[in-house]
Amino acid sequence: MTLLSLDGVSRVYATRRGLFGRPVAVRAVDHVSLSVEAGRTLGIVGESGCGKSTTGRLALGIETPNEGSVRFDGAAMPAPGTQPWRQMRARMQLVYQDPLGAMDRRLTVADQVGEPLEIHGIGTKQDRQDRVAALLADVGLRPDLGLRHPHELSGGQRQRAVLARALASDPALLVCDEPVSALDVSIQAQVVNMLTDLQQARDIAMLFISHDLKVVRQVSHQVAVMYLGLIVEQGDPEAIFADPLHPYSRALVSAIPVPGPRRRERIVLSGDPPNPADRPTGCAFHPRCPVAIATCTHTAPPLSRMADGRLVACHLADTHQRKAA
Amino acid sequence: MTEPLVRIRDLRVDFHGLPALRGIDLDVMPGEAVGLVGESGCGKSVTWLAALGLLPNTARVSGSVALAGQELLAAPPGTLDRVRGRRVAMIFQDPASSLNPVQRVGRQVAEVLRLHRGMDDAAANAEVLRLFDLVGIPDPRRRVHVYPHEMSGGQNQRVMIAMALAGGPEVLVADEPTTALDTTIQAQILDLLRRLQQETGMALVLISHDLGVVSEMCSRVCVMYAGRIVEQAPADTLFARPRHPYTSGLLAALPDMVGPRRRLEAIGGNVPEPWNLPPGCAFAPRCGHASAACAAAMPDFATVGPSHEAACIHLENDAMVSA
Repeated sequence: MTLLSLDGVSRVYATRRGLFGRPVAVRAVDHVSLSVEAGRTLGIVGESGCGKSTTGRLALGIETPNEGSVRFDGAAMPAPGTQPWRQMRARMQLVYQDPLGAMDRRLTVADQVGEPLEIHGIGTKQDRQDRVAALLADVGLRPDLGLRHPHELSGGQRQRAVLARALASDPALLVCDEPVSALDVSIQAQVVNMLTDLQQARDIAMLFISHDLKVVRQVSHQVAVMYLGLIVEQGDPEAIFADPLHPYSRALVSAIPVPGPRRRERIVLSGDPPNPADRPTGCAFHPRCPVAIATCTHTAPPLSRMADGRLVACHLADTHQRKAA
Repeated sequence: MTEPLVRIRDLRVDFHGLPALRGIDLDVMPGEAVGLVGESGCGKSVTWLAALGLLPNTARVSGSVALAGQELLAAPPGTLDRVRGRRVAMIFQDPASSLNPVQRVGRQVAEVLRLHRGMDDAAANAEVLRLFDLVGIPDPRRRVHVYPHEMSGGQNQRVMIAMALAGGPEVLVADEPTTALDTTIQAQILDLLRRLQQETGMALVLISHDLGVVSEMCSRVCVMYAGRIVEQAPADTLFARPRHPYTSGLLAALPDMVGPRRRLEAIGGNVPEPWNLPPGCAFAPRCGHASAACAAAMPDFATVGPSHEAACIHLENDAMVSA
C-alpha cells in the first residue's frame, strides 16, 4: 500500500545574485515523483544542494510545493500550520543529523519524549509516563538516562532520545535526514540496526535521506539518486549499487572508498558540484559527464523505465544497458 | 634500513590531568603514506597537534618527537617555526576556517613562500601560479585574486594544499582532509593528494575516521583507541586480517557496498570518557573476547606478522576472521 506519494512536485526559491542582482529562480526540487510504501524504506542519495532535504520537507508538508501534489495515506497534504496538518504530523515525524540541535537543552530527556504525547493529547498523565518509559526502553536507553539533560548524553544516546520522541505519537512515516552522519562508525551501526528493528516491529515507512551510499544500501528497499533537484535514477538498491546506469550514479558509486582491495574502477568527475542557481541547459549533469554527447547539451533526458524496471534519466542509458547485457 | 623521518616515542598528553594520549610510538618513513584511524576522541589529531607544538598551554605533553633526528618537543619556538609549514605541513577538515576570509587566496599562499622560502614578490607570485596549477585549480591567473568565500569547499581545500606544498614539506599531515566534502569532490582531492605524494616524494600522514579513505590512500595503517595505538599493519594485511578485536569490530560495523546485505555487527557501549577509563585494556568493556586478565594490565604490543603488531591478549584468530 502506498503511504506517501509525491506527484511531480517542484519547489522554487527566489534568490538574488549579489546585493543588487536581479532575482533568480532556483528550482531546488524539479518535478520529482516518488512513493513510499507502508513499512518500507525509500533511500534518497545525492550531494549537497541536490534537493534531497527539500524533498524530505515537502514530504512532511513543512514546505508547500510550487507545482505538483503530496498525498499521505490517501489524503492531500493540508496547508502547513493548520489544524488538519498538525493532526497529520502526529503520524509523520522528522529525525535529522544534529540531535543536540533538535532537542531543548533545558528539558530532561523524559520530558521531551513525553511532549508529543501532551501536544497531541494522548492518554492520561500516568499513561504518558508509562509510554515514555516504554519508548526509552524501545530505543535502548536506560530509565535513569531519561532524567538527564541532552548535554549529559553521548551523541548516539541523543540520537536514540530523538528517535524515542519521534516514535511517541506512533508515526506511520519517519523522514530521516542524515540520521547517522554525525555518529562514529561503531555507534552508527547501533543506530542503523535499531532503525531497521523498529521498522519491522512497528511497520514504519521511512524516507531515508543520506549522502552515505553504504548506509542507504543497508536500510533501503528502493533508492532514488538525485542531482540538481532531479531524480536521475530510481529503483532497486541492489541493481543501482551493483550496476548503476546513470553516469552520475556510476561516478557516485565508484567514488565510495571501501576498506580492502578496490573492486571497481574509480571514476573521478571533473568540475565542482553544480550551482542550483545556474543550472546548465539540457541534461543538468552534462558539463561533468564523462560520456556526454551533443544531444545532452540541449535536451534534458526524460526519466524512462528500463527493461529491469528501474527509472533512468539519461539519453545513453539504453545503450549502456544493452552493452552490459 | 633507512632512518624514520618522524620518530615518536611514548608521546603522552594530558588536559587538566585527564589523559588524551597514553603513550604513542610511531615512525613515519620518508615518502610513505601512513593512516591513523579511530573514532572521535581517540587521539589521532592530538598526536600531530602535540608533535608540532600546536596544543594550548593547558596541555601537558611528554615523550619524544624527532624529525630527522632533531627533537621537537622541547625545541625553542624558533626551531618549531622553521619546521612547521616548511618541513612539516598540515591541512585540516574545514579549509574555509583555516583560510583568512578577508585576504585574496593568492596572497595567502604567497605569504608562505616569502616566509619560508625567502622569495621576493615577483618570484612568489610566479610560484603561486605554478602551485595553483599543480593542485588543479582551473584558471589560476584569475583565481589567485578571489576570496575564499567565492570558491567552493573543494577549491578551498586545493588552496590549502597549495599552501601546504609551498614550503616544500617532507611530511604532509592531512587531518580529515575530505570529511566536509561531497563524495565526488572527495574522490578528486584524494586523487590529487595521491598524485602529489608520488610526484614530490613527501610522506603523507592521513588522519581519518573513514576506514575506506585510509585503505585507498595508505600503505600502512595505525588503529587508535582511547589515546593508544592498538594495532598497526600494512594496509592490505590490516583490512584482510585484522587481529585486534577493535579493528575487526570496526570493519564488521561498516555496511558493505557489494554482496548480500547482512545485519551490521555493532560494537556495544560507548568510547570511554577520559575521566572514566577502565583499568587495563580500554576496549575490554566493549570487547566480546574480554576476560578478567584484560582488566589487570594494559596489554603490550605483540608482533603478530610481518610489520604487524597488535596490543591484545586475546588476538582474533585467523580462521575466525576469515570465516
